[in-house]
Amino acid sequence: MFRPVKLTRLTIQAPEDRISAVMAVLGDLRLLHLIRVEETHLGRLGYVAHIDTSLLEHYDSLLARANKLLRDLGPTGPSSDIRKVHQPDKAVFRLEEDIAHIETEALEPLERKKKAKNAISEHEALIARLQLLEPAEIDLDRLHDLRYVTWRAGLIPEENLNKLEQSLVDTHHTLIPVGRKKQRVVLLAMSLKEDKEVLLRALKSAFWDPLELPPRIHGTIKKALDRLSSELEHLKTEFAGLDTEGAELTRKYGTKLKYLREEILLARQLLKAQTEFGQIDHTYLLTGWIPVALFEELKKRILKATSGNVLVDQVDPKDIKEVRSGILKIPILFNNPMLIRPFERLTTLYGTPSYEELEPTVFLAVSFLLLFGMMFGDMGHGAILCGIGYYVFRKMYRYIDYGIILMECGVSSMIFGLLYGSIFGLEDLVPALWMHPMEEINLFMVMSAFFGVGVISLGLILNLLNVIRQHRYGELLSTSGLAGALLYWLGVGLVARYLLSGELSPFELMCAMVAAGALIILMILQRPVSAVLAQRRIGKKGGRIPPGLGGTILESFIEVFDDLLRYLTNTVSFVRVAAFALTHAGLFIAVFSLADMVRGVHGGGLLYWVTLIIGNVFIIALEGMVVSIQTIRLEYYEFFSKFFRGGGKPFQPLIEEE
Amino acid sequence: MIFAAAGYAYPNAKVRALRSKRLTAQDHHFLLEAKDFSSFLAYLVTTTYGLALPNIEEEKTDPGALERRLARSLMEDYAKVARSLRGKREQELVLALFSRFESENLKVLLRAMFSGRGKQAVAHLLYPLGKLSALPWDDLWACSNPAEIADFLIRNPFGQALQHAIPQYNVQGRLFLLEMALDLSCFQRLKQAISGLRSRSDRKAAKRILGPYVDVLNILWVIRLKIHYKLSHEEIVNYSLPGGELLTLSHLHRLARAEDVSSFLEQMPRSLQKEVGEVCDWNNFHTYLETWLLRLIARLFMGPPFHIGIEIAFLMEKEMELTSLITLLEAKAQGLSPDKTVKKLPMQFFGVTYV
Repeated sequence: MFRPVKLTRLTIQAPEDRISAVMAVLGDLRLLHLIRVEETHLGRLGYVAHIDTSLLEHYDSLLARANKLLRDLGPTGPSSDIRKVHQPDKAVFRLEEDIAHIETEALEPLERKKKAKNAISEHEALIARLQLLEPAEIDLDRLHDLRYVTWRAGLIPEENLNKLEQSLVDTHHTLIPVGRKKQRVVLLAMSLKEDKEVLLRALKSAFWDPLELPPRIHGTIKKALDRLSSELEHLKTEFAGLDTEGAELTRKYGTKLKYLREEILLARQLLKAQTEFGQIDHTYLLTGWIPVALFEELKKRILKATSGNVLVDQVDPKDIKEVRSGILKIPILFNNPMLIRPFERLTTLYGTPSYEELEPTVFLAVSFLLLFGMMFGDMGHGAILCGIGYYVFRKMYRYIDYGIILMECGVSSMIFGLLYGSIFGLEDLVPALWMHPMEEINLFMVMSAFFGVGVISLGLILNLLNVIRQHRYGELLSTSGLAGALLYWLGVGLVARYLLSGELSPFELMCAMVAAGALIILMILQRPVSAVLAQRRIGKKGGRIPPGLGGTILESFIEVFDDLLRYLTNTVSFVRVAAFALTHAGLFIAVFSLADMVRGVHGGGLLYWVTLIIGNVFIIALEGMVVSIQTIRLEYYEFFSKFFRGGGKPFQPLIEEE
Repeated sequence: MIFAAAGYAYPNAKVRALRSKRLTAQDHHFLLEAKDFSSFLAYLVTTTYGLALPNIEEEKTDPGALERRLARSLMEDYAKVARSLRGKREQELVLALFSRFESENLKVLLRAMFSGRGKQAVAHLLYPLGKLSALPWDDLWACSNPAEIADFLIRNPFGQALQHAIPQYNVQGRLFLLEMALDLSCFQRLKQAISGLRSRSDRKAAKRILGPYVDVLNILWVIRLKIHYKLSHEEIVNYSLPGGELLTLSHLHRLARAEDVSSFLEQMPRSLQKEVGEVCDWNNFHTYLETWLLRLIARLFMGPPFHIGIEIAFLMEKEMELTSLITLLEAKAQGLSPDKTVKKLPMQFFGVTYV
């Protein structure tokens, strides 16, 4: 929990005819972070990446076919997980056969269904067009029989009608408005056949939208409409039959298709992963990071799948030169329990921890929930947050992490609501187990500052642990190391002593001043002394004192002053916890005052409750957002800045969801 | 009257203040007489247009790219005038007038889409519309065809106009139709905005400026569509703009059928004939018509002040100043002499005093 999953470097050497079997096992196990062989020292030995493009193309075409079938059949529900990953080069034959079989069964009925649907759409569109002309009671046969007159039916924007009329003033014509549709006029335009070009030019420039009527439509519009309506009914009946057939196909092949699609996607990912492999002649080499605990199982399964024709090795990261020199970074695979895992997002938003440092998510999660609860303490509001979180958790799969965080924040708010004795701002329903923030403002502020001392101290301790783990002993004397921590705790101890007893003895003051002075001198000298020692180690010409030592001392002095001042401001910054808790309570007072004001007017009873509800929604939305931002701010600037360096690399499993 | 005075006191003061920044007769003189393009720019920097210009000592100045940049001051004035007006209907009139620039940018967008170019490639052709334009430009630039744009703008007159034009665009495959639809929709909106004004004096004042403006545009369009595009008279009538004051559809039809300049002049209304009586070339109409328009604008500033006409007149005057400036800029870039340049400009630009 406090450390990422322990990883080991895996190397697999396999002959060409076994690589597919190896890939199948890797695909099954999934937890492998591949390293591109070409980018390691092995790349210099001639190992180059190779990808089976023809096989990948085959999978691409299979995927397109599967997607088309899924689109047409439209099965719903989630895809089932792949039980066993098969060798991509062998599996392709089975997948091809399965998809082809479903196509044989489904494509023809689906095609018929599609045609029927298109025919229905065409009929509906034609009926809609004819309905526009219906008021004119036209006999289309008579119009078609006109020998000297040409005619067109269509729509033009209303404002263009006058212009159209004027533009044809020199031509024998007639424009018959038949009806209106969405600021357009349905028009029947006629002219002599010899003026057909003029008519068409005029119509086109008036933004004419022609109503195309196919030649098979004849007789009066009414009769044509009756005929088309009965045809439409017939088509709909036919479509309903095909729809049932389609539903049967969906039931029969939907689940299988989704499974096949998952298999195809998985195989494609495995094939694409080949770009990370190295190949020389007929031998493949692949290397990557894998959890130590999985190595033996992986080795056993690979050897079994390849009849022992593959070399599987592991190397301890400490024995890898590139890792020791910092060229190669070991990726981070988080290892947190379910309730803490969503907070990994907040950690990675700040930075990815390096493999050597402590993984801070658990500390972040606990302090986040405590800070949030303190600032947003109310049982009612906590319950609502919890409810929203539960809804997100159940209904919005993509935001499941946020759902969990919301639920946890809700529970924290409820606990603090119990401590503050507050339910929807009502503070007289249940007794406060701790205190009412508004009644003990000073105490609450002091408590917040001391809570901040706790968080900052935790950050300092974590930093000390990181310094020791990473052998950066020189930093122990810096402001962020042991010296800084001791000085901070000395200051906190003095303040606590003063607050508890009301005064400090001269002896205590003297001891504190001597200790603080010594620590400050140590901190100021830490950098210049390091520079002198480094100069000696290198043994450069030009003496034992490095150039610019005076400047370094001055810089060091200013930095120490700046860092110590920052300790003070970081601690004071936590007073905001009390401030926001008070704001929360203050907003309740404002909402209740407003509600009381409207109670007196006509219908005030209802208005009272409406005001309370809107007020509470407002507080939850506004205060919830503000408190979240403040909490994140405290975490990042006051807590993480004390110990978290980041710069790590996230673990990228071989198979990721596509 | 008292209400009108109260309503227009602030906008008018604003307009008077803005109008004081227009180019002076001295500016006109020095800009016209500038010996070359760089001297022209060096003087222009000292005027109100200087703010819109790049650092001419550091950046390469391309006349084409400068034209739209110079419009920044006009766009800002539109925003200021719109903000100063209290009534929604009065603001709508200003916005309707402003929509012509939105329409120009939409046309650029359509042309870029049609020729497969991105926004960056045509950015120098876009008007710097600023916040006054409420169109979702980022979404529009992400569209891949005109139908998508029409869908995005469905609640806007542009969207409706495009939707009406798309059936013909699909048949003919020419952008010209979509561009015409955009232009027509602007002027239709303008016409509706004028008739939507509450006060009669506002309607009258707006028509006094915008009616002749539409007439001028219609005459110039007839010439352009007839001479340059070789369109038939029935097409020209259908592409004419609504909202003119002196020219009826019948006038436009006759103008579209005119064979030469003299018969064209004969078909114009008498009052207009007086203004352009000396024209003997199709290319000279715009100079005379713009001069006439500027005179109408100047006259409006001399009459009673409490109506929307003051704001509209100011914006039109500023726009025409910008047009003249761009003409001048192009002339200087081409190295034309002041004598030749003068012929392309309205008379006010070279010494005829404002009324």
